[in-house]
Amino acid sequence: MKVTFKIWRQESPDAKGTFRAYQVDDLTEDMSFLEALDHLNELLVLKGEEVIAYEYDCREGICGQCGVFINGRAHGPHNNMTTCQLHMRSFKDGDTIVVEPWRAASFPIIKDLIVDRCAFDRIIEKGAYISAKTGTAPEANAIPIPKSVADAAMDTAACIGCGACVATCKNSSAALFTAAKINHLNKLPQGKAEQHQRVKEMTWQMHEEGFGSCTFTGACEVECPEEISITNIAEMNARFIKSKIFG
Amino acid sequence: MALNPLFFRKTIIAATGLFLCIFLIVHLSANCILLLPEDVARGLYNSYSTALRENPLIKIVAYILYISIVLHVVYALLITIRNRKAKPEKYTMNQANENSSWTSQNMGLIGIMILLFIVVHLANFWARIKLGIGEAPGFDADGNVDVYEVTYSLFQNIYYVIFYTVLMIPLGLHLHHGLKSGFKSLGFYHQKGLKTLAKVALIYAAIMAIGFGIIPFIVYFK
Amino acid sequence: MKLDSKIPAGRLEEKWRNYQLKSQLINPANKKKLNVIVVGSGLSGAGAASTLAELGYDVQCFCYQDSARRAHSVAAQGGINAAKNYQHDGDSVYRMFYDTLKGGDFRSREANVYRLAELSAPLIDHFVQQGVPFAREYGGVLVNRSFGGVQVQRTFYARGQTGQQLLLAAYSQLYKMIRAKKVKMFPRSEMMDLVVIDGKAKGIIVRDLVTGELKRYAADAVVLATGGYSRVFRLSTLAIGCNGSAIWKAHKRGAYFAAPSFTQIHPTALPQSSEAQSKLTLMSESLRNDGRIWVPSQKDDTRKANDIPEEERDYYLERRYPSFGNLAPRDIASRAAKERIDAGYGVGRLKNAVYLDFKHAIERLGLDTIKDRYGNLFNMYMKITGIDAYKEPMQISPAAHFSMGGLWVDYELMTTIPGLYAVGECNFSDHGANRLGANSLLQASVDGYFILPNTINNYLASTLQDQHADINHPAFDKVENEVSAHLQRIINVDGTKTVDHYHRELGKIMWNECAMSRNKVGLEDAINKIIKLKEEFWNDVKITGSVSGLNTELEKAYRLADFIEMGILMCADALQREESCGAHFREEYQTDEGEAVRVDDQYSFVSAWDYNNGDFKLFKEQLEFENVQPTVRSYK
Repeated sequence: MKVTFKIWRQESPDAKGTFRAYQVDDLTEDMSFLEALDHLNELLVLKGEEVIAYEYDCREGICGQCGVFINGRAHGPHNNMTTCQLHMRSFKDGDTIVVEPWRAASFPIIKDLIVDRCAFDRIIEKGAYISAKTGTAPEANAIPIPKSVADAAMDTAACIGCGACVATCKNSSAALFTAAKINHLNKLPQGKAEQHQRVKEMTWQMHEEGFGSCTFTGACEVECPEEISITNIAEMNARFIKSKIFG
Repeated sequence: MALNPLFFRKTIIAATGLFLCIFLIVHLSANCILLLPEDVARGLYNSYSTALRENPLIKIVAYILYISIVLHVVYALLITIRNRKAKPEKYTMNQANENSSWTSQNMGLIGIMILLFIVVHLANFWARIKLGIGEAPGFDADGNVDVYEVTYSLFQNIYYVIFYTVLMIPLGLHLHHGLKSGFKSLGFYHQKGLKTLAKVALIYAAIMAIGFGIIPFIVYFK
Repeated sequence: MKLDSKIPAGRLEEKWRNYQLKSQLINPANKKKLNVIVVGSGLSGAGAASTLAELGYDVQCFCYQDSARRAHSVAAQGGINAAKNYQHDGDSVYRMFYDTLKGGDFRSREANVYRLAELSAPLIDHFVQQGVPFAREYGGVLVNRSFGGVQVQRTFYARGQTGQQLLLAAYSQLYKMIRAKKVKMFPRSEMMDLVVIDGKAKGIIVRDLVTGELKRYAADAVVLATGGYSRVFRLSTLAIGCNGSAIWKAHKRGAYFAAPSFTQIHPTALPQSSEAQSKLTLMSESLRNDGRIWVPSQKDDTRKANDIPEEERDYYLERRYPSFGNLAPRDIASRAAKERIDAGYGVGRLKNAVYLDFKHAIERLGLDTIKDRYGNLFNMYMKITGIDAYKEPMQISPAAHFSMGGLWVDYELMTTIPGLYAVGECNFSDHGANRLGANSLLQASVDGYFILPNTINNYLASTLQDQHADINHPAFDKVENEVSAHLQRIINVDGTKTVDHYHRELGKIMWNECAMSRNKVGLEDAINKIIKLKEEFWNDVKITGSVSGLNTELEKAYRLADFIEMGILMCADALQREESCGAHFREEYQTDEGEAVRVDDQYSFVSAWDYNNGDFKLFKEQLEFENVQPTVRSYK
C-alpha cells in the first residue's frame, strides 16, 4: 500500500518545527505503524537524509515509551491502544497520515516526535511508593486483601505512563495518571499509612509541573491504552478532600 | 503546603455551579406561573416577586447567588488561562470529537454565551426592577410592582423571544456537562451513582433548557 | 585463570546462611563514602540500586530509556514463582530447587539454584508490602497458578502484567531513594564501556543519548543489570532497545562470558507475518494452563480452525508428553512446535504457526473465568492480529526470548573482573540450559534485592583502603578516546546499506543455525557467514546524522556491531558443546524419538569464555552435583 506521512520535524527543543511530507509506496497491511516508520527511515538513510526520531521500546503495548499523535488522535485512530499496537491495516491505500508529537507545556519536545516526560517521574518521586525497606516485609498472607480491592487496585496500577492522557487532554491535565497511582496505593492496606501525605504531595507536584486542571472531557479514558476509568479522577478528588480534612 | 490551585479552583467552580443548578430549579418553578391564565398569573407572579424582594432570608440567598456567579466566572477564567498555558501549542489535526463530546471541549465558549445571556437578562429585569434603570415598571391592582407586565411586554418582541429561547441551548449543554462533572470534581466517585447521575443530569438539563426556552414562546402567543 | 565459584561450605540448606554469617560488614559511616554504579533499571537494577541506597551506599543508576519504568522486565506477563506452598500441593524449597535444576537440564550450580528457591518466599512478602496487587481469592489470600515444567501451583501473578507490576514496584522504590538523594538517576544514558583500573572495575563511560556527549562516571564498584541479548536474533520477544553491548564491552575488558549459546526459544509468541517485522509479541506461557495446543492431523489443511473436527486435530504435546501435556517446559514445547511446522503441519498464512485453543477451557470454566484470567492477553492478541481469540484459536509460534547465558559470575554475583557484578538476566547463574517459566522475574528480583546487597560488601570492605577512582585517571582518558574513535569509525564508513539490513541478515543466520536446533556443519558455516557479515558491516554500513546529538541510527549501529561479534561467540559455544541439553539441541545428539541426549561425563560444566583479543578461549567450571543425581530429563 501507498501512503503519505506528514511528519513533524524539529531539530531541537528550541528550534522551529515544521511538517514534512514523505510518500512511501511499498508498505503492507501486516506492518505495524512503527514498522512503517522504520521502513521510511531506512529509505531516508539510503537517500542520505537524517532519520525521523520517534520513541518505542517493547512494541507490545506495555512499556509506555511509544506515543505520537496520529491523524488527530493520541496513539492513532483506535480507542485504548498504544502506537506500537497500531497496524497499517487501519489505514487505506492512498491515505495521508499526519503525525505530531505529544503537545503539552510539561512535555517539551526533544527532537521530532520525541518528548520529555520526566514530569511523570517527578510526580512518582513525590510519594508513589510505600516507605518500607527491603527486608522488612511481614508474611504475604498476613494481611488478607479482598479480591475486589486487589482487582480495583490492579485496574489502576496497570497505567503504563505513556502520557496519552496528557497529550489528548485539551488542558494537558495529568489527573488520570496521578489518580491511577494514588488510587492504586491508597486502596491497599499497605499504602494506608502514607495515604494523605501521598495525595497531597503528588498532586502538588502535578501542579508544580504545570499540568492543567481536569475538566472531565473524558478524552483521556478513551485514549488510555489500559482503559483506566476517569472515575479515578473523581476518586482522587475525594481522597484529596479527605487528606485536607484528616491529613 | 499552599492550596493546590488545580483542586481549589475546581472545587469553587463545582460548588458554585451546583448551587446555581438548585437556584435554576426555583427560578423555573416561578416561571411556570407565567403559563397560567393571565388573571391568575399576574397577581401570583407579582406577589411572589415582591415576597422575594422583601424577605431578608432571600436577600442573603440573593447575595450568595451573585457571589456564586462571579466566583464561577472568575475561577473559570483563571482555570482557562492556566489550562491554555499548559497546552501552548495546539495540534494541527485534532479529532477531539472522536473521544469526547463537543460540549465538554467547549465549556468556556458555552459559558461565555450564557454570560452574555445573563447580562441581557439582568438588564431586562433586574436593572429595571431593582436598580430603577430605564422605564420604571408600573404597579398592579394589589400594589405590587407589576413584574408580570415587564415580562409580558418583553416577550411581545419576537427578537427577545428568539434570544431567550435559543440561548437556552447552551444553557442545557452547560448544565448537562456541569452537573455531571461538578459532582466528580467534588469527589463523588461511586460507580453506579455516577451512572444514575449521568441520567439525572441529562433529564435535568433537558427540563431546564426546554422549560426556560418554551416559556417566552408561550407568553408570546398568549 | 582458574574459575572459583566461591560456593560456601556446608549442607545445601545452610550455604547461604553460612555465607551471610561469614561475609564482611561495613559500618554505616563508611558505606556513605562508597559509591556504586548500577547500569540498568529493570527489576534487578532498580532492586539493587534502591536496596543498596537503603543500606547507605551512594548509587548512580543509568538506563537508556526515557524513564526507569520502561525497562523490559515490564513485559513479563505470566508470573513469578515462589515456594510458599500456599496451595498445600506438596511444594517446598527443595522441590522448587529440584524443578529448576531439572528444568535447566542440570547445567547450573546446585548452590545457586537452591538459594534462588530459598529466597523466593520472602520475595513475595517483599512485593506484597511494596503494593503489588497480586491476584487474590475472594477471601483475600494470594492465588497461584501453574507454569510449564512443574506439577505444583507456585506461580503468583497480577493478571497478565506481573512483570509490569513488579517493575513498577521496583521503580517506585527506586524513586523513593532518588527523593532521599541516595540514588542519582540518569535516564537516556547508555553505558559505552567499562573502565578497569589496576584490574578492578572503577567506572564507566556513558553516552548521553540526547546530546551525544560522552561522560565519565567513577565508582567503587560497578553493577551490570542490563538484561538479555536475544535481540541478536533480531526477531525476538525483547524490546527493540534491548542489547548486549554493556556485557559485551565488559567481556572485552576481561569478564568471562558463560554459556552464550544457551538462549531460550519461547513456544508461545505471535508468528512472523512479514519481512519488515521488528518484533515477535509474546503471549504468556500461562495461557498453556487452560489453552490446548494443536495442529491439523492432515498436512496442508486449508480449512479454518473451527471447521476442523476434533478427531482430525493433533494435540501433539498431550500426545508426546502425556504427564505434562501442554505444560511441558519451553524448550520442549518449542521444539515440538518446530517439528510439526517443519513437517508441514503448520497453520496460518505463512504456515509457520500452531493453534492455541481455548474452546474447551471456555466450555469448562465459562467465558468470564477465562476473561478474568487472561483478558488482557486476549485483548492484546485482538489489537495486534485483529482476531477474536474467544471465538477462534490463537495462532502462535516459537520466538527467541530469554538468554540463560551471560557474564560468568561466582556465588557472589561477581564477574571475573573484581568489582564488576552482573545481576538479573545479563548474568549466567541459575537457569542452566533452560529457564522455567516465571523464574525470570524471580531471579532478577532475588539477585537485585537480596543477593547483591549482601555480597557486594564483601568486596567493598576490601576497597576501603583504596583511593576512590577519579574520572581524571588516565584509564578514563584512554577508554573514552577508544569509545569516541569507535563511534566515529561507524559514522565514517558511509557505505550503502542500512543498519537494519545487517541486523536482518545476522538474525537470519542466528535463527537458522543457532536457535532451536543446531548442528556442526551449520554452526561452522554460521561462524564464517558472521565473520563475513562483520566485514561487510564495517565496510558498507550507512548512517546519517552525526556522533553528536540524538541519533537513533547510530545507537542501533553500535549495538549491532556488538551483536555481530557476540553471534560468533554464541555459535562457537554451541559448536563446542557436543551434546543436547535444555535449549541447546544438537541434531547429532538425539534419540530415535527426537528427544535430547545429554553427555554428562564430558559436558557437565559451565563454559566460560575469555575474549582473548577476539580469539575466544574456553574455560570450564565443572558442575558438582552433591545432592541431586542428574537424570534423563523426561516430561513424558
